[in-house]
Amino acid sequence: MASNAGGNAANAKKASGVQMQHGDHIDTIESVDVVFREQRKLSFTFAAVFFIVTLSIPVMTIWWKAWYATPIWGGFTMNYLVVSLLYYFFLWMLSFTYIKKADKLDANLAHLADEIAAATARETDEVATITTSSALESEGGE
Amino acid sequence: MGGELNVFAILMVVIVTVFTVGLAILVRRFTRTTADFYLAGRKVGTLANASAISGDYLSAASFLGVAAAVYASGLDGVWYAAGFCGGFIVVVLFIASALRRFGEYTVADFAYGRFGSDRIRLLTVLMVLVTSLFYMAPQMYGAGTTWTVLVGAGIFGLSPYNTGVLVVVAIIMFYVAVGGMKATTLNQIFQFWWLFVAMFLVVMFAFFGSHRFNYPAALEEVTAETHLDVKTMTVAELTAEDPETGLAPIDELREQMSPRGLEDIEAAIEAGDPEASVPVTVPATNKLHELRDMFFNEPGHRYNAFDQFSMVMALVLGTAGLPHILNRYYTNPSGAAARRSTFWVLVFIGLFYIMAPIAGLAGRLIIDDAWRAGTAPANAAYVDGILVRSDAIMPTIAQIIGGEWLMGAVAAGAFAAMFSTTGGLLIASASAVGHDVYEKYVNPDAPELRRVIVGKIAVMFFSLLALAIGIGIPVIGLDQAYPALIAMMVTWAFAFGAGAFVPLLLTGIWWRQTTELGAISGMVVGGGGSLLFIFLNVLKQLGHLGDTGVLAFLGSLTFPTLFTFPAAILTVIIVSKLDGRLPKNVDEIWMRIHGTASERHERDLGLHKVGGMLSSTKDE
Repeated sequence: MASNAGGNAANAKKASGVQMQHGDHIDTIESVDVVFREQRKLSFTFAAVFFIVTLSIPVMTIWWKAWYATPIWGGFTMNYLVVSLLYYFFLWMLSFTYIKKADKLDANLAHLADEIAAATARETDEVATITTSSALESEGGE
Repeated sequence: MGGELNVFAILMVVIVTVFTVGLAILVRRFTRTTADFYLAGRKVGTLANASAISGDYLSAASFLGVAAAVYASGLDGVWYAAGFCGGFIVVVLFIASALRRFGEYTVADFAYGRFGSDRIRLLTVLMVLVTSLFYMAPQMYGAGTTWTVLVGAGIFGLSPYNTGVLVVVAIIMFYVAVGGMKATTLNQIFQFWWLFVAMFLVVMFAFFGSHRFNYPAALEEVTAETHLDVKTMTVAELTAEDPETGLAPIDELREQMSPRGLEDIEAAIEAGDPEASVPVTVPATNKLHELRDMFFNEPGHRYNAFDQFSMVMALVLGTAGLPHILNRYYTNPSGAAARRSTFWVLVFIGLFYIMAPIAGLAGRLIIDDAWRAGTAPANAAYVDGILVRSDAIMPTIAQIIGGEWLMGAVAAGAFAAMFSTTGGLLIASASAVGHDVYEKYVNPDAPELRRVIVGKIAVMFFSLLALAIGIGIPVIGLDQAYPALIAMMVTWAFAFGAGAFVPLLLTGIWWRQTTELGAISGMVVGGGGSLLFIFLNVLKQLGHLGDTGVLAFLGSLTFPTLFTFPAAILTVIIVSKLDGRLPKNVDEIWMRIHGTASERHERDLGLHKVGGMLSSTKDE
């Protein structure tokens, strides 16, 4: 992410004037789209894992006799053991991994957004400098 | 039922109640603005909010209903626990941080902010109210059931059940109206930990008390025989002889049931009133694998193949459609904090949901043993060692294994669960009416004090509505139609939320091309379709649709989510594509949902850090 940040930041301001400022921080529609795409990729990847695992349980419950009818530990079948106990470990691991990755992504994307803000500020300064120089030259000419 | 008064247990419930009300009064002076009343000033920290969300979420359905569903239905009941917990994955992946970033107060605000029309806000308000009423109904039923077991007597000439409903409604109405979200949040934190410890104690007493419960061995023991259901039959039905065999149902019961279990049934037959009804035990049938006998550790007691999928979908998607839970996400200081809160919620409630099915299984053996030994609590009704109302399992098993003080802890936990969830629902309903309707349409210039007063009047109105629903449930016979009614009714709220709100939120947050017309159409199809299926299912269970025909088939589908959710999503997509009228400020909206400048700015100012909930919000 960070390696593309400079390029994205430079293009962002040129491509669109739509932006939202909070204090020193700026979102542009292009930077937000970058954030959105990365977050969507992360969330939908984890969601795919979640739904595949979760829905595979009723699939096996319906069609795999050894899963629902064969005791493996006292009265526990694989079906009962997974639904009453192991499924929670899956949920905890999945959410923990997701949150770590989402926090890291947030940090990277915040860094990108700050670079965009810095690039925007530099462009503004350059424009101001050029404008001032032009004005001085004009005054001198007169 | 003998009307046994459990003085010590009642005392513990009174202590919890006094604490709850006292907290509301203490917090009252810190509730001055609408942000305080509805959102606790947006200063709730990660662990505090996780505890509060857990308290909000763990209702009577979780504390009484999951154990009851396992007790009545075995493995099919265990799914309630797993599904209730799994729902938070959908929340953390798709909803939590985006909703917090967007800001605002309520889900209706989100709908308005995202699509910019009054009609979608009003439709969302209507859907919020329907969901809240669906969710309040089982809390009220739980209140009546627990009061019956705990106290066994009514006041002012009311039945014990109606008294329980009345008392709980009165207390919740008072503390929510007085304290608002801050009191509700603090109470939810306290109440969550109380009921967590109560469930923990029940399980520990089962494992290490005189019964020496052994999880795999107990599961093996209850599976040794065919699972039994409790069914109510009239004397006429019991004695009607089959013309071919010459045998009546009572002849089979005389072979299956113990002599003591038959006593009440024989007495009813002896009395000779053909319309008199008595509970009996009958072998359960397997709805999933129809050729197999039904055993406790196998699927199929409640759900056929369609419902196995649809139940899972309703449970895991429904959490993201519960407005009182979503409202809590606005109280987080940041989107990242919202995610972290959700992780801790998963840990807290996951541990709780691992314990609840253990209590349900333990009840199947321990209550039966106690009944045969003649030591089962007198306030609950039994038939041949099985509870007639499975929803009474928690206080009943607690009294058997831990005596009156453990029953007191459990009963207090049950009331805590009802207080916390109903409190959250009342706040959600009050904010829907007070904030989304009154402040936006009726009197936008109303001073702060009047806005808070309107919120409190809305709380009182919905409290009285909850009272009417609670009292109405046994009147229409709903308590006889389902074996574990509390968990069932909550799942209807999940199914409705999954149909009405989740498509709106998912497409509104993750698909930029969603139009207002598309979102409205999706809500109507998802919410309306869910209502229709649930209504048909209730009619079917009450015996009004017969066994054949299209309506009877549709009524046999317990959970509609497998139909309604994809239908609603498809509707949003198709109508949005055809409509094509995006909000004019869609770029700005998109930046509010997915932009991070606001959070980075708040971080610079230190606003992301948790402040004290016991400090009043000065300006919003």
